Order: sequence, then structure tokens, then C-alpha cells
Amino acid sequence: MLKYIIKRLAMAVLILLGVSMIIYFLIRLMPVDFIQSKIDAINQGGATVSEETVNAMYEMYGLGDNSFMGILKGYFSWLGALATFDLGTSFVHGIPVADVIFEHMGVSFIIALIATIFEFLIAIPLGITAATHQYSIRDYVVTVLVMIGISLPSFFFGQVLKDFLALKLGWFPASGLLDATVSQAGLSLLLDYARHMFIPILTIVILSIGARMRMTRTNMLEVMNSDYIRTARAKGLKESVVINKHAFRNTLIPMVTSLAGLLPSLFSGAIITEQVFNLPGIGNIALDAMNRGDIPFIMGYNMFLALLSVIGVLLADLMYGIVDPRVKLE
Amino acid sequence: MSKTNHLSGKEVRAIAKENKKIIKKLEAYKNRKAPESEYLTEMKDDSNILEIDDLHTYFFTEQGVVKAVNGVSFNIPKHATVGVVGESGCGKSVTSMSVMRLIQGPAGQIYSGSIRFNAKEADGTEKVYDVAKMPMRDIHKIRGNQIAMIFQEPMTSLNPVFTIGQQLDEVTFINNPKATKETAKARSIEMLNLVGIAIPERVYNSFPHELSGGMRQRVMISMALAADPRLIIADEPTTALDVTIQAQILDLLRDLKEKIDGSIMLITHDLGIIAEMADYVVVMYAGRVIEQGTVQEIFHNPMHPYTIGLQKSKPTLDSDSDTLFNIPGNVPNPINMPNYCYFRERCSSCTKKCAGEYPGMIQVSPTHYVACHLYGEEQNNG
Repeated sequence: MLKYIIKRLAMAVLILLGVSMIIYFLIRLMPVDFIQSKIDAINQGGATVSEETVNAMYEMYGLGDNSFMGILKGYFSWLGALATFDLGTSFVHGIPVADVIFEHMGVSFIIALIATIFEFLIAIPLGITAATHQYSIRDYVVTVLVMIGISLPSFFFGQVLKDFLALKLGWFPASGLLDATVSQAGLSLLLDYARHMFIPILTIVILSIGARMRMTRTNMLEVMNSDYIRTARAKGLKESVVINKHAFRNTLIPMVTSLAGLLPSLFSGAIITEQVFNLPGIGNIALDAMNRGDIPFIMGYNMFLALLSVIGVLLADLMYGIVDPRVKLE
Repeated sequence: MSKTNHLSGKEVRAIAKENKKIIKKLEAYKNRKAPESEYLTEMKDDSNILEIDDLHTYFFTEQGVVKAVNGVSFNIPKHATVGVVGESGCGKSVTSMSVMRLIQGPAGQIYSGSIRFNAKEADGTEKVYDVAKMPMRDIHKIRGNQIAMIFQEPMTSLNPVFTIGQQLDEVTFINNPKATKETAKARSIEMLNLVGIAIPERVYNSFPHELSGGMRQRVMISMALAADPRLIIADEPTTALDVTIQAQILDLLRDLKEKIDGSIMLITHDLGIIAEMADYVVVMYAGRVIEQGTVQEIFHNPMHPYTIGLQKSKPTLDSDSDTLFNIPGNVPNPINMPNYCYFRERCSSCTKKCAGEYPGMIQVSPTHYVACHLYGEEQNNG
């Protein structure tokens, strides 16, 4: 087991190297130029920047040479810094990338975690009832409702909820994370956070229930038609035991694999939702960095997610070995 | 309706509407609450443990109603083994599933008929239930503890994520609320021993995928026996196993029948197994019983042309022929079956009368019945 994990981690390093290379080259090929936009801003202010200053700036940021060898050199200098656990300094924020990530990740993580918990708590029971009452009115109602959820774009549905719950009814604040008028200590601070996060979380939960519910329903239906469920019934077990013990334990197996994709999404931030509600989450920051060509941040952020993805897949495989006795990890 | 399977949209909608109406009624009947008196009944003959009487089990499909079991009647006497034979799709499995009430709704439903079962209560008194009329919420009174079932597919019939021990203990826990973990385990090990598993402790802690097909079928049998059932339904218990294991499993079933003093309903398409195991034989064709009798009567004096054909198609060593006999043609489409002998198109001794109504059961001897126009009063006239 330990040997297996070590082998997988060694492979993960290789994968991450490949990923970093691809991301770096893609970013350098992107048609945004941090220096150019900075100079444009200065020029608009009326001042003129000399050619030498521009070149010096390009050199300073390590973006002077756009030939293949130049990009390669840039990549290796980034990699060399990474070896000393230095993700570099963000162009936009002017502070170390790691600090920027950790500063903004908390909000996104809490929103994603709460949303995911509710997503599972609501979607799995819905999926099970839809499957055990297949083709009944209950099945159709649940299916239609969650399909509506899947089909709504988050920028639209988030906006609708905001308009209704925040602007019309005034129950919740429309945007931001904290209210300046509330005293910022203890319980009242916590409550203020909760009030601000309510609508974004509601939006994410409603939009994500659909896929998970469909998955639960499909898996459950497949399991319910299998021979061992017939055996369980033939034993004289109550239908509730047949469903909640014999069937559900088997639907867990594919559900565990889907957990792999979940780990990075807990930390990546909900870019669009954060935009709509103007939350200082990591998704919002990442979009901004992308638009402005903040190369160190984009690299750091994407490598962080890549690392989480690799760990997530490894965890899923380990979990597989726990929930499915037929799987042996060698 | 046309002979082809193609249906117009209008026809499909009409069928769906009709199905929905019937299914709704039958599902409500299945899920109703009913006092026990509503499904208590009397046996016609007290020496029987199970009497299936004019059973109709239908599947309401999009193409129409499939009458998988269409008026089946036969009895299982106490302490006897009754073999049910017939080719694939003749309704023998559906009959057994109906007895266990395992027909998958909403499409599959017991449409009419009765299944009288003589149950033995814990205090030793006997009660006769009409299983077909039992609401699903009361089915635990017979399922598992009075009637147990062994399935065709040992490879997939055990839950892959639980150990053999967990699955066996469960049976003890259902039937004996006072059981503790230790007593349940002791009982399970005893059962594994009974079915001839050499290292029961190890098998107890194994997962199904760690066992061979024969071992799994033994486990299935031990699971069926754990509750001391009065009737065991074995649905092709050896079809998925190789021949040497087949013989072992059959020997085991025969021994166990003596030990538990119960009855067996043995479903198979293998006449060799029937000859070896059964006291009585029921031959089914396209959802109906076409001939039944004792095993001697069916083997030495088969009367229905289909039974005769089945006998002939059995491979033997002493025949000179290089090819196996086969009955020409196929089983008819089960949707919208006409009301004449379904075997007519494949029958070598078909007469003019066969164009008429479906033949009734004709009694040939006290135990031998056949449904064919070649016999009975018509024979004397023509």
C-alpha cells in the first residue's frame, strides 16, 4: 500500500512537470501583455515612456525574449524558483503569489465546501427516490426540476436570485462579503459573513444538484436491476433495507470516483458566481489575473489546482480500494 | 393487428394508456393494507404444500401485453420434488418469481389467479396464504423464511461489497430477532458446513469474488436453507456451472431435501436433471402447462407432441444418428397470442381440430394430464 502511494506520488511529480510546461508556454503565447497595458496606462496619463524604459521593463519582468529559447529560459527560471518553494511575485498585486492565493482562497473554499455538502445532502436522496419510483410522478417532477437547474446559466440565475432576494425583498445583502456598518467581532461578524454568502451558495447548490442527482439516479437504477438485489429481496429483507443497505452501498462505488474531480473545485473558486456577487474569492482574482497577463499568479494558481487534481485522483483510487472489495491496489 | 412488430404512433399511445390504467390498479392492489383474513384461504388438497391455480402473470410493454404466464395450474405435494421444464422464454422462471412475488413492477404484474401456500407458523400451526393476493407489506411472512429461492446466476447473485458472513448472518437476523452476532455466526458456519464447504470460517470472511462459481452456488443454497424453509425454489441452479460441479450441487440438493424434509420446485431445461431429481414433472410451453405427470409417466409415456420432441432432442450415446433431433420453428411471439394451440405451427401431428380453440387439460391417469387435441373424447369421434 505504502509502496503504491509512493509510486503514484513519484508519477505525480512527472505529471506536474508536464502540466507546468504546457501552462507556461500557453501563457506566453496569450495575446495579453502586462507591460504593454501598464505603459498604455502611463501614456494615457499624458507622460511618454521612452523606448529604453520599455525594454528595461520587459527585461525586468523576464519577458524580453519571445523566441522559443527565450520562453524556455523563462520557464526554467520559474521552475528554478519553484524548487525553492518560491512561486514568484504577482505582477498585479506586487506581493508573493502564495500570499495572494491564501488570502483569497478562504472565501472561495468555504462557499464551495458548504455548497458541496448541501449538494450531496439534497441530490443523493432525490436521486434515490427518483430511481426507486422510476417513471412515477415523483420521478418526473424531480427530473424536470433538476433539469431546469442544470440548464440555467449561473450568471443569469445568480442575477435573478440577487434581484429577488436581495433587491426586492431585501432579506440578504446584494454583494460583497462584509457590511461596513456591522461591528466586526465575534458572532455578529460570523452572521454577517453568513448573510453575504447565502445567495451565492444557494445559486451554486441549485445549479449543481442536477448533475449529481442524475448520476445517483442512473447508478441506483443500474444497481436495483442487478441479481444481488433480487437475492436480497428473496431473503425476506424489508425494501428499505434492500435500498439503503444493499443497493446504496453499491452506488457509492462510482460516486467515490466523482469525488476526484471535487477536490480542485473546492479551491478553484466559482469565477462567474463570484463576479455576479462581487466576492473577493480566488475565482474573481484569477479571472482578473488572466485578463491582465499576471504570469506568476496564473502559473501559481494553475499549478496549485493541478496538484490538487493529482492528489484528488490518488485519493479516489485509494477510496476505491476501501469501498469496493474487488479492487486491490498494487 | 398486423403480424409485424411495427406499431403506429396511435397504436403505441393506445397501448400505453391501457397499460397505465391496468398497472395503476394492480399496483394499488399490491401496496394496499389488508387484514390477514383477506388472503387466508384453504388448500384444495391438504397433502400439497403449494397449489398454483390458473395463474396469469403479464408484462405490460410498449408493444403490448406479454402473457408470460397464461393460466398455469399445478401443485407441489409435501416432501416432493417437482420439476418444471420448458425451453427458454416459456414462463417457467416467471412462474417461480410469481410465487416469491419478485416480479419486477411496474411492467410485470400478477394479473389473476391464486397461489395457495401452506405455511407453518413458529408455534407449529399451519396457515394457508394466497400469495397472489398478499399485499407487498405482508410478503415477509413467507418470503425467505417459508419459501426460499436459489437463482440461476451464482456469479452475480451475491452482493459484491459484503462478505459471505455478513450476507448469511442477515438471514438469521431477519428470522430470529433474538439472535446475537455470535449465534448468527454460529448458525452461518453450521449452514456452510451443511452444504459441504470445507473451510467454513475462511469462506465466512471471504467476499463473493474470492470464491468459485460452485462455491458461490453452495453459499446461495446455505443462504436459502438458513431460515428452514418449507419450499425451496431452485431456478436452474446448475445452468451456469460445469458438469462435475453440477452433479455435486444436485446431490447436495437431494440430501438437503431429506434433511429439512421440505419440497423443491426445480426449474430447468435439462431433462437429465429432471429424470434424476424429480418426482413429478410439469412441462411448460409459451406460458402454459401442456403436460404434467409423474416422472415415469412423462419419460415412459410422453403424450404431447412437444414433450415427445423434447425427449427425442436429448442427446444419447446409443443412437447411430450424427445429428441431434430438433423441433422445427420457434416459440411464437408472446404478444397477442391467439387462442389456439401455440404449438400448432411446429407440430408434426397437427390435425384439423388444432385450428380450433386452445385444448383443455385431459386427464389420462390420476396424475397424468395433457393439453392436446390428439387425446380425449375427440379422439374417439375422429
